Formats: sequence, structure tokens, C-alpha cells
Amino acid sequence: MIHQFHTSFAGLPVFDLTDTTAAGELPAADAVAWRIRLDDYVDEFDPWRELFGTFTERVDTTRVRALLLGNWGNTYDVESTEPLALLTGAAERFPALHAVFVAEYLQEETEISWINHGDLTPLFTAFPKLTEVVVRGGIGLRFDPLKSTVLRDLRFESGGLPARVVQALGASELPALETLQLWLGVDEYGGDSTVEDLAPLLSGERLPALRDLGLQNSPQADQIAAAVAAAPVVARLERLSLAMGSLSDEGAEALLSGQPLTHLAGLDLHHHYLSDAMMERIKAALPGVQVNVDDQRDLEDDWRYVEVSE
Amino acid sequence: MRLTVVGTPGDRRVALFAAACRRAGLAEPALVPWRDVLLGRPFTVDGTLRVESPGEDAEVNALLRGPGDPARVGGGARWYRTFRAGLERLRPYPSVSDIDDIAVMFDKRAAHARLLAAGVPVPPALGPVAGYARLRARMAERGWHRVFVKPAHGSSASGVIALRTAQGGAVRAQTSAAREGDGWYNALRVRTLDTEPEIASLVDALAPDGLHVERWFAKAGLAQEGVRDGVGRVFDLRVVVVAGEPTHAVVRTAAVPMTNLHLGGRRGDLAAVRAAIPWAEAMDVCARAASCFPGSTMVGVDLLVGVGMRRFAVAEVNAFGDLLPGLAGLPGTSAEGGDTYDAQVAAVLRAPAGA
Repeated sequence: MIHQFHTSFAGLPVFDLTDTTAAGELPAADAVAWRIRLDDYVDEFDPWRELFGTFTERVDTTRVRALLLGNWGNTYDVESTEPLALLTGAAERFPALHAVFVAEYLQEETEISWINHGDLTPLFTAFPKLTEVVVRGGIGLRFDPLKSTVLRDLRFESGGLPARVVQALGASELPALETLQLWLGVDEYGGDSTVEDLAPLLSGERLPALRDLGLQNSPQADQIAAAVAAAPVVARLERLSLAMGSLSDEGAEALLSGQPLTHLAGLDLHHHYLSDAMMERIKAALPGVQVNVDDQRDLEDDWRYVEVSE
Repeated sequence: MRLTVVGTPGDRRVALFAAACRRAGLAEPALVPWRDVLLGRPFTVDGTLRVESPGEDAEVNALLRGPGDPARVGGGARWYRTFRAGLERLRPYPSVSDIDDIAVMFDKRAAHARLLAAGVPVPPALGPVAGYARLRARMAERGWHRVFVKPAHGSSASGVIALRTAQGGAVRAQTSAAREGDGWYNALRVRTLDTEPEIASLVDALAPDGLHVERWFAKAGLAQEGVRDGVGRVFDLRVVVVAGEPTHAVVRTAAVPMTNLHLGGRRGDLAAVRAAIPWAEAMDVCARAASCFPGSTMVGVDLLVGVGMRRFAVAEVNAFGDLLPGLAGLPGTSAEGGDTYDAQVAAVLRAPAGA
């Protein structure tokens, strides 16, 4: 569960811009990442629109480098396209913007599976200089295949990432992309992608710079592990994560019997259904690799949970 | 001075308070068993009265709630009626535990109203709801999507439901109540219910005993060792206020909306919380909440901290909220170094009730 705001984003400390803090002393525009959020439950979008207006009046937006779009009202009525439209409509006032976090809502504020998105394409077209983008929530999310020579870091956090998003990423041309993290999620919350949808990413053909790949939060972690074991992209990775999902001994066995992984700096498998013996085997087989097998789940449980779904 | 405790023989609360009395050089308090009070048996009070929780005793529980499985959820109305009748029998005696205060604290609706009237920050409440259909109708009228449904006379999160609704009829509830056969029982973990008939059935089962419904207050999270940035656990504070002074505090953290220790909650890092929130303001809110119960030497305030670490709300004020064995008093307070019971004994010695 997601219960904590990020304290830093895109290498900058986060400044929490709310109704209250917006009236006080503000940091230099380029010294922080700005989280714009309402500090209360609000149904309609208007208060966020006002807060965004205050932000653009009080802050030299031409020097703003990073933005986090937080609580903008109730997420089932107000799609992320509304705050994004305000931002893209003012794109010429944000020439330095290079990092955006869409929907930094906490579990206590809304369910990740109830954050409604729409077409994200305008964000990428309005801000071609973006180097880092994080999106939380998967419902309704879609975009055309991306094309960017500067985008380095992409993360999609969701309890269910639509197959069309995985497919669009597979069809994207992102020669500078170094980090790609996908929380794939479960079918009942819209995570309908299959291992086949991951094939273009696993081939790595369009991702020559990829160093850090996360295929996380999946109930199909064993099948993903088997696919990763033979994936061409793995040779160029420094970090691999199959964490937050349902990985069991079967998937781990496939991983260990596949291509060598000893070149990795880190292998993150936390939140898993591995036996104690398999946890030891993995660590023994990968000396020098920082292996995270924290958060072993209850192997006796009939149901295999992912870390984040609802 | 002499003290008489109304409690349950063998209960560790009684033993912990007696130990604090011994440390202060006082005689062992006399004990009047709750059982005798509830059964209408004669008892004698020597000196000043201290009212303790009836505790976990099965016989006392059966007297209060009526016969049945002690793990069942519900029965709060009968429990409260019997409990108040017992409290009435204590009215004639000088006491450090005001019986009207206790009665209000064990009615979440009345306690909420009292705090609200005094200007203490509390989440807004919905007013009476007779069942699930009425609950949803009232939520819709107010435009609320997330609420906490609490049995009016419950304790230890028994029967509490964290309820979320969305457009299109989606509804989700987290609760420690679990269905077994045709009844609901207290489980030791919080589960998610996401079918409406199941949720409606639970709410309807609890409603006849009285419900208090509050808008969900979005709680702040705290980083947890070994958990990556941006995840964390929610937290709240239990602050013990003795004679108007917040003397003891613990942080309770959880991955679910309920932070109770028996439901998997854990103690959190108090120093980290003190550094992250306006601490003096938080303690002031607790002191103001306690001042709504001026006849009570001690109350335990459950303080919620909002997601931005700047807003506060009082979730509950507990008449018996001092069971924090071995917890040292906050530095700089009069209780520094002692436990919650030492602080109360010291307060009683400073200002004996009825003196």
C-alpha cells in the first residue's frame, strides 16, 4: 500500500504546495520539485484549478523543473486529463519542465484502482523535453506510441495496467530510456496484459540504453520470469526487478536455469512466494549481486496476492 | 490516602496500577470486582475510587453483553446499558474517574458531539443511520465517498468498517469482522470485503446497536525501515493525558486503515514523528480533547495526523486508554521516567478527588 509522499523527485526535494503553504514563503522555482495538491477531500476540480493559478502567479514557472500533480479532487469524477489540460495549455510558460508525476495520491486519499486517467499523449507532445515521467493508477490510461530522444525514466504504478499501455510502450521509440518500471497489476483492476505483450520490451530492440527494468506487481511473475530468462534485453541491464508479485520457486527455477544474471548489480524480488531453500539458492547463485528477497509471503495461502491492487 | 479500584481480579491493568501505588509508597489499593458491581452485590469503597476497564474477563463480558460467543461482533447496546447501570452504582463515591465522563467516552456519538462543541478538531460525522441503505443515502446527500463506520459502543476496532465507494456502484470495505455461519466475529486481521451484499449485511448487523459514522480522515504515512521510499505505513498517535498534561505517547503504524496492535499494527518511531509534525500543536489538540472530560484524571486520546503532516483530528478519547506497560513519560513532562500509572498516582497525590 502506498502511504507516503515522495520526499524527493527527479533529484530535487519536494515542496508541498497546498492552500496553506501557497500563502507563505516559497522556495526558488528551480530548487524543488513542486507537488500541487489539495489538503482535504474535495469533489470538484475548481479548487485545484485555483491553486494551480496561484502557483503560476507566485512562482517563476519558466524555471520550474519538476511537478507532481497530487490530490486534485475526487478521482472517479475528475480524470487526470483535467489537471493535465491545465498544464499542457500553459506549456509555453514551462520551458524548463523535465519531470512530471501524474496523480501522486496516497491510499488514504483514494484507491490506486480508482484513479481515472484518459489520453496521456498531450503530456508528451506538449513537453518534448521530458526526461522523467511517473504515472500512478491505470484505469482509462492510454497514449500513442512515444517518440523521444531524451526520456530516461518511466514508471507506471498501478493495480492494473491496461494491455494497450504495455503495447504502446512496446511500439515506442525511446533510445535514451534507461529505467522502465511497470506495475502490471491484476486483471480485475484492468491489468489485462499478457507475457506476449512484453515481448517487444524484452527484445530490447528499441531500448538500447535500458539499464533498469522492472516488471513488477504481477500475478504472472512466474511466466514473466521464464520469459526474462531468455530475453535479449537482460544482458544490458544493471538492475532487474520482478518484485511485488507472485513469484514462486517455479519462476525462480526458470530464472536460474536461463541466461547468466551475475552481471547484475541488483535483483529485486521482494514480496514473493519463494521457499526458504530457493531464497538461499538464488543468493548463492548470484554472488556479488544485491538480491532483495524481503517480504516472503505466506506459502500456505491458497491465493497469491500482488503487493498493490486495490 | 486510600484508593479503591473497580476492576477485574487478575487483570494486568489492576496489577500495573497497584505496582505504581507501591512505588509511590501508598498502600495496595482495595479491589472491587466489576462482577460484584454488575450483579448488584454489596461492596465497600475505601477512600477514593478509580474505575478500571472491565478487561477481558469472560464472565464479566457475558454479564455486560449477554450470553454468547465472546468473539462475536455486536451487542454494544446491551453492553452499554449494563455498563452504565454498573457505573451508576459507583456514583456516590469520591472518584478520580468521573462516571459521566466515562459514559460519554463509551458513546462515540456523544463524545464526538462534546469534542465538536468545544472546537476540538474531529472528522465530520453523519448523524444516525439505521442501516446500509440509509448510510449510502446519507453519504450521497453529503457527497462523501469514504467513511469510517464505528459501532457506537465498540472498542478495539471491533466492528469498525473503513468504507469506500465510487461512481458506478463500486464499494470496498476493510474490517476485522469476519463472517462465520450466520454471524460476524472479530478476526485478528483486517480483510477487504468488496461485494455490496456482504458489506450491507455487516452494516445491517451492526446498526441496531447504534452506529457512529465519520468522514474518512486521510492519515499520514511514515517511512518504515526496509520499505522503499514512497510506500510506508499509515500512523496515528495514542497520547495519554494525565491531569491535563500530555505525558505519554506512542506511534501506531499499519498497512491498513486500523492501527490497533492486535490487528497487526506496530509501534512506530516517535522521534521521527516528533520531527515531522508540529508537535506542540499536536499536544495542544490532545490537551484540549482531554479538557472536555474534566472529571477524568486520565484519558487516552487517539490523534490522527493528516497526509500533509499539518492537520489533526481526534478519532477517539478512551477512558481506559492507559494500558501501555513500561512506556516512559515524555521528556520534559512531569511524568518523565515513569509509566502511565506512575503519572496517575502522582496526579492523585497532588490533587485527591473530593479533597
